[in-house]
Amino acid sequence: MHESKSSGAQNIALALGNNLSRRSFLKILMMTGAAAALPGTGLLRSFSQEGPVFGRATFAGPGAYQTFRNACPRNCYDTCGIVSYVKDGVLEFVEGEPTSTYTNGGLCVKGYAYPRTVYSPDRIKYPMRQVGRGSGNWERISWEEALDAISGKILEIKEKDGSLLGMALTKYSGNFGITHYGVEGMLSSLGYTTRFVGTPCWPAGIDAQNYDMGNMWCNDPEDMAQSKYIIVWGANPAYCSVHSLKYIYEAKKRGAKVVVIDPVLTQTAVKGDEYWQIKPGADGALALAMSRHLIDQGLVSREWVAANGLGYDEYEAYIKANVTVEWGAEQAGLPVDVVKRVAEEFAAADPATIWIGYGMQRHVNGGVNVRAIDALVAMTGNVGKPGGGARYGHLFTWGFNYNAMVQAAPEGSVGYTGATGPKGEFDTGQGADAAATYTDRTFNINKIGQEILDAQDPPVRLLWIANKNVVSQDFDKNKIVKAFEKVEMIVAVDLFFNPTVEQADIVLPTVTPFEDWTVNVSYWHYWLHLNEQAIKPLFETKSDIEIASALSAVLNAKQPGSCTFPQNIDAKEMMIKEFNDGIYQLFGITSWEDLRKGAAKAKLPSSASWSDLKFATPSGKYEFKSEIAQTNGHTALPEYKAGREAYAPLRLLTPHAKHGLHSQFQNLDWMHDLNPEPLVYVHPRTAGAKGIVDGDTVRVFNPTGEIRLKAQLTNNVPADTLLMYEAWFGAKNGFNVNLLVDDVSSDMGAYKTGSPGVAIHDQFADIEKVAA
Amino acid sequence: MSKRYAFHVNMALCIGCDTCAMACKNQYHQEAGIVWRKVYPVSEAIYPHRDRAWMSLACNHCDNPPCLEGCPASAYTKRDDGVVVHHPDLCIGCQQCLHTCPFGVPQYNPHTKKAEKCSLCWERLDAGLQPACVQGCPTGALTLVDLETFDDPNAIQFPPGFPHLPEVGPSTRFTLPEQPKIVRRES
Repeated sequence: MHESKSSGAQNIALALGNNLSRRSFLKILMMTGAAAALPGTGLLRSFSQEGPVFGRATFAGPGAYQTFRNACPRNCYDTCGIVSYVKDGVLEFVEGEPTSTYTNGGLCVKGYAYPRTVYSPDRIKYPMRQVGRGSGNWERISWEEALDAISGKILEIKEKDGSLLGMALTKYSGNFGITHYGVEGMLSSLGYTTRFVGTPCWPAGIDAQNYDMGNMWCNDPEDMAQSKYIIVWGANPAYCSVHSLKYIYEAKKRGAKVVVIDPVLTQTAVKGDEYWQIKPGADGALALAMSRHLIDQGLVSREWVAANGLGYDEYEAYIKANVTVEWGAEQAGLPVDVVKRVAEEFAAADPATIWIGYGMQRHVNGGVNVRAIDALVAMTGNVGKPGGGARYGHLFTWGFNYNAMVQAAPEGSVGYTGATGPKGEFDTGQGADAAATYTDRTFNINKIGQEILDAQDPPVRLLWIANKNVVSQDFDKNKIVKAFEKVEMIVAVDLFFNPTVEQADIVLPTVTPFEDWTVNVSYWHYWLHLNEQAIKPLFETKSDIEIASALSAVLNAKQPGSCTFPQNIDAKEMMIKEFNDGIYQLFGITSWEDLRKGAAKAKLPSSASWSDLKFATPSGKYEFKSEIAQTNGHTALPEYKAGREAYAPLRLLTPHAKHGLHSQFQNLDWMHDLNPEPLVYVHPRTAGAKGIVDGDTVRVFNPTGEIRLKAQLTNNVPADTLLMYEAWFGAKNGFNVNLLVDDVSSDMGAYKTGSPGVAIHDQFADIEKVAA
Repeated sequence: MSKRYAFHVNMALCIGCDTCAMACKNQYHQEAGIVWRKVYPVSEAIYPHRDRAWMSLACNHCDNPPCLEGCPASAYTKRDDGVVVHHPDLCIGCQQCLHTCPFGVPQYNPHTKKAEKCSLCWERLDAGLQPACVQGCPTGALTLVDLETFDDPNAIQFPPGFPHLPEVGPSTRFTLPEQPKIVRRES
């Protein structure tokens, strides 16, 4: 009755017909034949010499573990609550927070890899000094030696320049825990410094929503289940927000229609009822075309725009004079009848919603395109409605004290003179007071290479990098590495020897969420998660605020009064100090300790943002016409703006990956088991014209740089487009999409985040076959 | 009446996110290279878009498990609730089960010099918990069902691409994926 010997695995792989699965099956079969001869790669190295033992495990029974509450802080929509199971001081496994209806007891492929993050043999264990950047010639040093060298440099700069503007910080989203804003606090506590401000992620859309509605504020994602029509526009929750899918599925089950608009046939796209392959950057033209059709058909919600809109008549006049459905459909590459039909269906459904993804605003016209989509939702009366809304993101739940962040400059500090803009989207103060004598100097976070090359009086002498893998994630890698040559000392705080650490002089080892105390909220859902210290910090790792505190002690010993950061801190106390009555009231808790029992959700007056239809714009209305936008150099109306001219034959898209979050997680050996190598995805017709077959090694190149990797043929991508998912595959793999992505700005972002975004998806490249 | 536990893989809901596969490693810490649950892409001959439909597979906990029947060391047992358990203390590492299993489930672990496979998290089941992979699935695509009571009319035992072996009786049940209407750019 049995299949013949040997080939069960092959049978199923062949039946499934996929090369990758066949190869991995062959790997398994190979292991069966020559197992003893295999080197001991992949053996879980335990830390028995160093501390707790992490090795093979089984479920030891419900009473066998201590449990702690944690949160995933890696800049994700889902920002999951985690329950951590600890036995004998070892983090044995993690589960999703069951008390959050959003996380709902489960994590994602990244979250479940956390035990390996914590106990990875590749973790940075001690402070180290590299003799020769990029040489890999690291030597272990003590914390005392590291802080002596860094503090010496700080005092030297102050002596030489008369200010600390030669010390710069770039930091972003490696850990969004609230106490991690203590990194900014550390810089403030030293004096006036140079800050790389803004966000590479979502700034154009933030500005767009601020122009239209006075703030970025989305409905509760859980209310998508009530939607009757959902357009997912440039978002891929199947990779980037897996816990949101269940609400879309629920809406579908209740009869809603789901349309996915994306240049790529994504995993999300095949889960909708209908997929539109839009031309990248044509989102505004498409939204304008759909709006024109609503006007022509009398489907605009006249009552809503009259009561709640400002400048609607002018917007309608602009559209009538400048937009036809035929023109907009052609710009987007879509059939006119299809565009008309969906516009009609969207207007007829109540409530209807659009999820505006971050991908679609990473264009030179991304901000204004978001405004045109916002307007489409508003024109149909869907803003302010449960199950409706132009969903982008929110900072509604982020009202913490920022106690670790707010630190005074030492007396007598000298800095930059004049007003500055906001230092990123979380800067609630929105910029320095123009009346202040001195401020920090601000540089564009998205042009770190160029800014360092251009910086003078003083140049960037000391660069502090935390919560950010700059060399992997910032734009034009080669320019960044070149610019770093100008910097006298680079200090990186990190978990792994990533490409940024490779370019550092000193690396300081930091903690995972499980070794830290902090608190986390999301920019998408409305839950609040405590992050407890579940295990003792491994090796000599320290949290960002512990590093700040230690540095302060050394500086004050050398030069009393030179740093105001508290010298003796308790990480838990610092976490407690981030809470305030506003947070307690919003979440309906009486103490942070309530969160030890589970997650809390904001007590929202409605699941809808703007439910009272009182907008935060100057007029208090939804501003189809925004004077602030005009003042800031944009059109007052969301008018059509052309995309970037192609500078190479094929469009290059480098969106977010399934197995990683930016440069985190994909470096782990556990993740390599599931996704071993980077690929470039090419349409079969494009590949055929270049003589490329599946699995060939190719060179993808443009004026910014080149990458060599394997090609996979798929019609999920259009014929004029190449696709690579951004990731860092670990120290042995040089793959980095930002070898090919230049630092050209998107249209918006400077208003609310201090710098414009980057046109990450307005990139172009060519491809050719090379010898493997 | 005893239970007959099985996995139900709803491919219409599955997004191939690999969460189930990693939830398993999170629980058991298999060495790099050892994976008990794997999410296989369905061939384009069966689903027309590459890497867009998936079969999340682990042990099928068969009615007539060939691994058990062929094991010279009696290292496999089948529980009353259907779970096929591998006992590492009895395993002699002969790898017979790797050859007899028609689904390629058992793997040889060069570090332990024994075979191993999905246990259906029987320790968790006995504690009243869901298997790690099922608990982790964010879309409800992977569920644990009791075949004694499971009566989903859309569920099938042998979807295209899965070996048709009724005599072995794999317990896993499947719901087939759906396809959206697709509007491609004219270029």
